[in-house]
Amino acid sequence: MSGLKRMLLGAAVAGLMVGAGPARADFWSDAAKGLEGTTIHGVSESTPPSNYVKDVLAPAFTKATGIKVEFEATSWDQMYDKAIKDMEANTGIYDFVYIEQDIVYSYLSRNFLVDITQSLADKPNLKAPDFDPAMFTTFVNYFKGDKGDIFGVPMEAFIKVYLYRKDLFDDAKAKDAFKAKYGYDLAVAKTHQQYKDNADFFTAWGKENNLELWGSTVQAHTGHPASWYEFFESIAPTFGVYNWGIDASKNYAASVANGGTMNSPESKKALEFWLSLLPDAPPESTASTWDEVAATFAAGRAAQGMVYGENAAWIATNDTKSKVVGKVGVALPPLEPGVLEAAESGKGYIGYYDGGAFGIPHSSKNKDASLLFLEYIAQPSVQADWAVAGSRITHQATYDDPKVVAQDAKTDGYYTLMKNDGRLFAGAPPYPFHAQVREATAPMFYQAITGELSASDALDQMAAAAEKELTKLGYRK
Amino acid sequence: MRPQSVGWLFLAPTLLILAVFGVLPFIYVLVVSFFDWNSFAADPTMRFSGVQNYRDLVFDTGFLMSLWNTLKFGVFAVASEIVLGYFLAQLFMRNFPLKGFFRTIHTLPLMIAPVAVGATWRLMTVPGLGPIPYYLDRWFGYDYLISRYAGQAFLTTVVMDVWHWTPLVTLTLLAALSSMPKEPFEQAQIDGANKLQTFWYVTLPLLKPAILSAVFIRLMDAMRTVDEVWMLTGGGPAAATRYVGLYIWRVVFPKTDYGYGSAMSLITLYLTIVLCWLLYAGLVARRDLRKPE
Repeated sequence: MSGLKRMLLGAAVAGLMVGAGPARADFWSDAAKGLEGTTIHGVSESTPPSNYVKDVLAPAFTKATGIKVEFEATSWDQMYDKAIKDMEANTGIYDFVYIEQDIVYSYLSRNFLVDITQSLADKPNLKAPDFDPAMFTTFVNYFKGDKGDIFGVPMEAFIKVYLYRKDLFDDAKAKDAFKAKYGYDLAVAKTHQQYKDNADFFTAWGKENNLELWGSTVQAHTGHPASWYEFFESIAPTFGVYNWGIDASKNYAASVANGGTMNSPESKKALEFWLSLLPDAPPESTASTWDEVAATFAAGRAAQGMVYGENAAWIATNDTKSKVVGKVGVALPPLEPGVLEAAESGKGYIGYYDGGAFGIPHSSKNKDASLLFLEYIAQPSVQADWAVAGSRITHQATYDDPKVVAQDAKTDGYYTLMKNDGRLFAGAPPYPFHAQVREATAPMFYQAITGELSASDALDQMAAAAEKELTKLGYRK
Repeated sequence: MRPQSVGWLFLAPTLLILAVFGVLPFIYVLVVSFFDWNSFAADPTMRFSGVQNYRDLVFDTGFLMSLWNTLKFGVFAVASEIVLGYFLAQLFMRNFPLKGFFRTIHTLPLMIAPVAVGATWRLMTVPGLGPIPYYLDRWFGYDYLISRYAGQAFLTTVVMDVWHWTPLVTLTLLAALSSMPKEPFEQAQIDGANKLQTFWYVTLPLLKPAILSAVFIRLMDAMRTVDEVWMLTGGGPAAATRYVGLYIWRVVFPKTDYGYGSAMSLITLYLTIVLCWLLYAGLVARRDLRKPE
């Protein structure tokens, strides 16, 4: 090929690329033709990732399509209350709703949600060129139906990690004092006994040095389900108790007598361990949900703790909200012997892989506009900034984005931990009776926290209450 | 148009609103209470269960405990509000510097939404961080931890309710005190009655209608309190402040047990009516019966 021909061919290719560019860039305005001026309404829990959608992605979507987005970011309880009532009554107030991983099975069992895969197949003009379900992490599998179709577009995913204060764990005086007291080196806990020793030590250290410092956060609200979740999602699995101790294959048994593990010796040991941390936790712990635990750690009031990963980034990097910027370390939770091996072989898990997706209710009156919005927030191009703002990752490629890599260094490798060890964590079990069993058993759990019931008695009563509720609901025959 | 028809015409909007927002929902709840209906059950349809929901209530220790706690809450809160409200009303009957200012300040809590009241009290009492636990610990060494100790949590909900609603009682009694005739007091003075006798035989009987109105309104309010307590304690610690409104909310909303929750709601309504009737019978009707023919 002569040089002139090459130049002409190159010019033609360049021309084609330039010509094709605007057509692709204009997908959103083209697809939204006829939908301009439509307002879609959404509801979600007020979390850093949701707030990013509200403040950044929704306005950008409106600019690109002319479709307005009214987005409510409210409390966890209110979000469920509003979404479920709307979908049950078929009122169509919300065009997209937040589906937390643990509620998706309830929603699917009630056929609340639109099949996104099918909808895009039916309306190819709404299919964004860069929307590809294969780009998501495996977290998307939680939002698939029996046939593999997607019912929710993942918008946040994170693991509940063990955060610790690097500055305290590296303090030479603290190290010497710890070794003198316990006979071994102060370190990030690998076992529960080590975690407890660390907690005891730093509580005493705080008192001795007149610091507002305690040994551990504990998400132990005595009237809010957050405490129940901390135990069953983040503590019990580290003792080898999975799926809330309920075995679906054994007629949804919860009690040991019937084949469940809710009141097994391992479960009781787990609860005793968790309750033993209360004296080492700041006073606000018994009034703390997931938000307050993050705030406690960010305020520098705890040396270590289990914190939802959505808060890891801001705790570690945002000095307008956090007093421990640059002092945060992340690690896997402490485990009982054999639990890690079980997780690695796929027979168990070591903690909670939390997150959620946005789905479209059947009751929505603006399904097409909502579909476009969900595709918009799933674009690869918006993922990195969103990940930095909300420590969430739903696309595999986001891990390698330079912005995320830079943030990873500031968060002591939180994203790397999630990328490499996320497979050891798991979401909630696929039960459609999530809130029902929780509400039936939570009262006894709260009594265990206040000391009205021992760990053993509480779990025995909880197992019985869970089975009674499951029988009433018709799952347990 | 006949005068009677005109009367009904004027009443029609109110009756319509009452029917749509009062009678129809009541009938719906009544019907649902005879069904087993949970939208997340294996069978999410409504299944007739007769009086099973009502039978279960009798053995539901959580519900019975919440009723008992609600009753205690109502009695402590309303009694405190009446006593405090009376003294404040008497205070505002007198002249003192900045009386208008203090009367306005005192009335402000009434204008605050219950959710905001709950949030404010939560901020003031949050263990370890709120000013109340902080200063109680610093000044008196008192361990005030409402998320741990049931008695403290209960007392705090009562104090919060008293703070929020005493101004209503004060205003009610102030209006009654302002409109009292002078003659009975002058007559009592002439007859040589002391202050206590004047209060017992003159003031109290004249104030009784206002006191009863305040008691009925506040008692019914206390029996259905939800939002303030939800914000402050979430019903905890454990079940210490899980008053019946909160208990029903948990059964109907997160648990989606609509049939059982409906039965609870109706029983609670019935008990509230019975309580008010007993109060009325004890304080008003009994004396009316003793009146000579």
